[in-house]
Amino acid sequence: MFEKDIYQLIRGLRAHKGKEREYIQSSIRECRKEIKGQDMDQKATALLKLVYLEMFGHDMSWASFNVLEVMSSPKYVQKRVGYLAAVQSFRPDTEVLMLAENLLKKDLNSPDKLMIALPLGTIPHVINASMANSLLTDLVPRLSHSNPAIRKKTIVTLYRLALVYPETLRPAWPKIKERLLDENEDPSVTAAIVNVICELGWRRPQDFLPLAPRLFELLTAGGNNWMAIKIIKLFSTLTPLEPRLVKKLLPPLTSIIKTTPAMSLLYECINGIIQGGIMEAAEGTTEGDEVARLCLSKLRAMLVVEGDPNLRYVALLAFGKITSSHADLVSQHQDVILECIDDADISIRTRALDLVVGMIHANNLQAVVERLMKQLLDSGHASNTTDPAQDYAMHDGIVPRADEEEDELQSPVQPKDPKSTQAPPLPDDYRISVIERILEMCSRDTYANMNDFEWYIQILVDLIKQCPAGLASGGYGSHLASKSQPSIADAVGAELLNVAVRVKAVRPEAAAAAQTLLLLENRQEVFPSATNGGQGVLSAAAFVAGEYASMLSDADAVLTSLLDDSSASLPAHALSSYLQALPKIFTVVTSDQQQPWTYARQSNTTLLTARIVHFLEPLTLHPDLDVQERAVEYLDLMRLASEAASNQQTNEQSDGYAEPPLLLTQAMPSLFSGMELNPVAASSLRKVPSPDELDLEAPININLNMLLQEADYDTDFEGDADEVHKLYHERPSAVVTDYQRPAAQLLEPPNKSSRSSSYQAGETEPLDGEALERKRAERRERYKDDPYYIDSQRTSGTSTPMHNILRSSNGEELDVDAIPVMELKLDNSREASDRERPANPRVASVKKPKKHFVIASDETLGGDDLPATQIAAATSSTAKAKKSLLEVDSSGLSALSLSEDAASNGASQLDIEHRQAEEEEMHKAIKEVERLRLEMQRAQERVQPRDIPEEGMVVKQKKKKKKPKVEGLDEQQVGEVNGEEGGAAVKKKKKKKKRREGDEQVDDEKGPGDGEEEASGPTKTKRKKKRQVTFDE
Amino acid sequence: MINAVLVFNNNGQPRLTKFYTQLDTAVQQRLLSEIFTLVSARPSSACNFLPLPPLLAPSTSRSSSTEQNDAPSLVTYRHYATLYFIMISTSTESPLALLDLIQVFVEALDRLFENVCELDLIFNFETLHAVLGEMMVGGVVVETGLDKVVEGVRAQGRVAKRPVNEGRMGLTQGIWAGR
Repeated sequence: MFEKDIYQLIRGLRAHKGKEREYIQSSIRECRKEIKGQDMDQKATALLKLVYLEMFGHDMSWASFNVLEVMSSPKYVQKRVGYLAAVQSFRPDTEVLMLAENLLKKDLNSPDKLMIALPLGTIPHVINASMANSLLTDLVPRLSHSNPAIRKKTIVTLYRLALVYPETLRPAWPKIKERLLDENEDPSVTAAIVNVICELGWRRPQDFLPLAPRLFELLTAGGNNWMAIKIIKLFSTLTPLEPRLVKKLLPPLTSIIKTTPAMSLLYECINGIIQGGIMEAAEGTTEGDEVARLCLSKLRAMLVVEGDPNLRYVALLAFGKITSSHADLVSQHQDVILECIDDADISIRTRALDLVVGMIHANNLQAVVERLMKQLLDSGHASNTTDPAQDYAMHDGIVPRADEEEDELQSPVQPKDPKSTQAPPLPDDYRISVIERILEMCSRDTYANMNDFEWYIQILVDLIKQCPAGLASGGYGSHLASKSQPSIADAVGAELLNVAVRVKAVRPEAAAAAQTLLLLENRQEVFPSATNGGQGVLSAAAFVAGEYASMLSDADAVLTSLLDDSSASLPAHALSSYLQALPKIFTVVTSDQQQPWTYARQSNTTLLTARIVHFLEPLTLHPDLDVQERAVEYLDLMRLASEAASNQQTNEQSDGYAEPPLLLTQAMPSLFSGMELNPVAASSLRKVPSPDELDLEAPININLNMLLQEADYDTDFEGDADEVHKLYHERPSAVVTDYQRPAAQLLEPPNKSSRSSSYQAGETEPLDGEALERKRAERRERYKDDPYYIDSQRTSGTSTPMHNILRSSNGEELDVDAIPVMELKLDNSREASDRERPANPRVASVKKPKKHFVIASDETLGGDDLPATQIAAATSSTAKAKKSLLEVDSSGLSALSLSEDAASNGASQLDIEHRQAEEEEMHKAIKEVERLRLEMQRAQERVQPRDIPEEGMVVKQKKKKKKPKVEGLDEQQVGEVNGEEGGAAVKKKKKKKKRREGDEQVDDEKGPGDGEEEASGPTKTKRKKKRQVTFDE
Repeated sequence: MINAVLVFNNNGQPRLTKFYTQLDTAVQQRLLSEIFTLVSARPSSACNFLPLPPLLAPSTSRSSSTEQNDAPSLVTYRHYATLYFIMISTSTESPLALLDLIQVFVEALDRLFENVCELDLIFNFETLHAVLGEMMVGGVVVETGLDKVVEGVRAQGRVAKRPVNEGRMGLTQGIWAGR
């Protein structure tokens, strides 16, 4: 078979115009064959072709093992292809990565510097924590390689290692630091180190303070602008920690600003001064004032400079960073910043917009808003969906195309064709952000800057026309989507509503605006056909129209629009608002008391009710519950109204004046008028005074003392201090006893109670049935007026249906005490787990007095609760800070201190202690869980032997799942078991001391652990092993 | 740090994709096309900074300032004749310096290929990767000096010019038409 090399593949691609897909598919098929062959050259060529095609989105994950084969080739040219393929195609789930580890180690130790460079460039792309641990020993020595190119790459690779495995820095950092301090080091190695330190710096600035003198030296020595920028960036994170740096930095920074020809360095100096708080720190001194003046004048100059939009952009970026701290300084330059909101470039506009919001006051608000409105009006919608040419995101992949002209490819001289001068269509997200900003500016501080609300309402109506078609409102008839994602039109609607409620004077205007929005004949004009993005406002408009229906100029027309068939297909929240508005408007239209009840009026009213009924009827089956409920309610109301209207005698029938029906004139208006709606602050609910008679101190259950005594007695018996603790902290409330079905039941049939130390009489010696009955009657008498007293008979009969069911299924006369206790317990535990009551731990602790009942199966879950919720909280919090797509997480670094002196590593000591404490806590929790689980298992063995295997398995599974979770929480980065084993190999002698401490710690903990049941032994030793490793790392 | 380096032409055809985090091929392509959509809509007078594409846009509020340093926040691009060069980076990089870095990258390619054009990059994409590998490792810049970059690539072996019969040569006179 004819083999193609990479050139032929590319040429072939270019030759098969229009049939690229087929060509690629056949090429991939060829590659599949070639890559399986024995010839290494052929393998490598096939791999290179696959890498090329991967660039266009053709998956090559299936070839990962072949990648490994080519990587292991002894020939450099082939090896390079293999490594490139690994970088481009390996993903976190690539399994062969484990196999690559030894190869990487081998190549790192190669005598050839080119060979070493390959793994150095590849490791950052494929590294994971367990591999990092094992590669560390091979990487660190490369820091002192004779070739500077190797040294600088090693430094960066170590940085990426540290991101997944922070402990990397312990052995590596001292060496890196040594390199940095070495004045004879190659300048590009120094620059690489500075780059890495800049990346590390913002995570742990305090660790880099000792390096300040050297960094300062490098900054003033100059030469490398890139490095100078990085040093300034680093210093801006250091200055807040070391105020003395400010004075030291001012002269060199000032001189750089004045002299440097490099705009980037100039800008970063200003940026560093702003971000490092040097401006405030040096305020008052002549130098400080000079530097502040200098910075701002330079920034201003950047804004007004012609022909370089980049400078405008970065200057606005810098202004944006100081608005929070120096709003006054920024507003001094508002004239130039305001100009930028009309810049041709959307990136610049967006930045300017951010700044402008903070500069709004009563005098310029209207001018700025009108400028923005003009912007929105002048440019068309850039709708992704209407222009297929722009719709690249929807394609399932980019196909290499062959349509490039040779000439074009070879002519780098031609500048890009200038685009048409007409204002480009605004992208939707920019449009949305402009609308958001307008609303924000106008409503700031409860409309503090607003002078003219009529104008504002007009603006709101105009804004609706500019709303882009959002995803949220796109779901015509999708009832859930629209509610969960408020669109921008919803926000405009909320503003309209807010104004109408807050500003009484403009309510007629607001009602008129709502009418405009609702009327069907305006629909085309108000909601341009291309977009249905404005629909979200309908909900608010309908509410305003309903609430202020008396102010509508044409209520009949609004009602007709609301009743249109098309309304029924609106999103649920709009529809339910429509339904609420209907009867309100109806009332306004029909409730006139002055007019006589003529035949015309009667037929009008009945017609109207008939139409409303016709509209509502289908909606009673609407999938949205809110809509459904309102439809049902108002349907009945309308039927009543219709009946009332048709039964009322008209003028003509009664030959004289006839009153309109009372239902229409009195009853229905009173439903909807009443107290006026007022805005309520979100926090005001908290300020509602609590009623005087409410005494939170008063005991809810008078029996509490008795219960506690009971518990004391019982725990003494059990000799477990923890239980006492638990009981005190998880107070058994009276309500809970309500659920105590078995205990309550136990009390009912008083026959053979000699065996059962009943719940209510627990503390005393067992009573005979009669005495018990008497006692209970006594108590019932005593508490009969106390609503909080849970009487076993009273509650069992009425308030717990569950009990009823059980009782009826068990038979009314069931003698519970006659049932063997074991069985009863099992029953209880099953019931409990079926219902999954949240009150379980409390139930359990209250139940303690029954010594035969010691453990119900759910109690384990109760003990489990604490760590489980902790974990849940932790995971949810990390999940909340959702990682950005390309983000490389460096948060692991923040836990690691770099102060490497063994004697004075107080910080890391603290870290370790902290971790130990956490671990101990976790250890205790696990121990408790295990103990309870064991007890439960035993109890089950006693109860129902055949269940054991099944139940036992479930328990085991849980345990397995839980372990890594717990470990993961502690270690964050380490996790993997093989990583831990590897950790032992990397042990440094220096760490011996720490390790001994760790061992002692373990021994300490072993003490109390020894007293445990032997069954928990195996798991314990396993855990201990893990812990020890933790200290080693 | 730099999160990704992309090169594509005026039609959105990728010429180099380098992601410093492991991403699904499909997601890579999607990101590529999103950025191309953004970048191709810009007039030549616009600045060289793009708003974040939808895939990278922060999903929650934009407040959390400390965590943000890890997330890509800057998309810088330069347009040279038929090619777009794009760098996606975090806030620890300087926007203007990145523009210079792209310039260094392109100049290094120009040195290696003598009047580089898109065709060179199509046929020698391995060299393209090598140049990038000399300039940055794992998203951190290791070299900004033009000479050292070129020297580093040359040390790896002869850099092939585009295949001889592929189009006419020597037509191109100018150096960098882009800004």
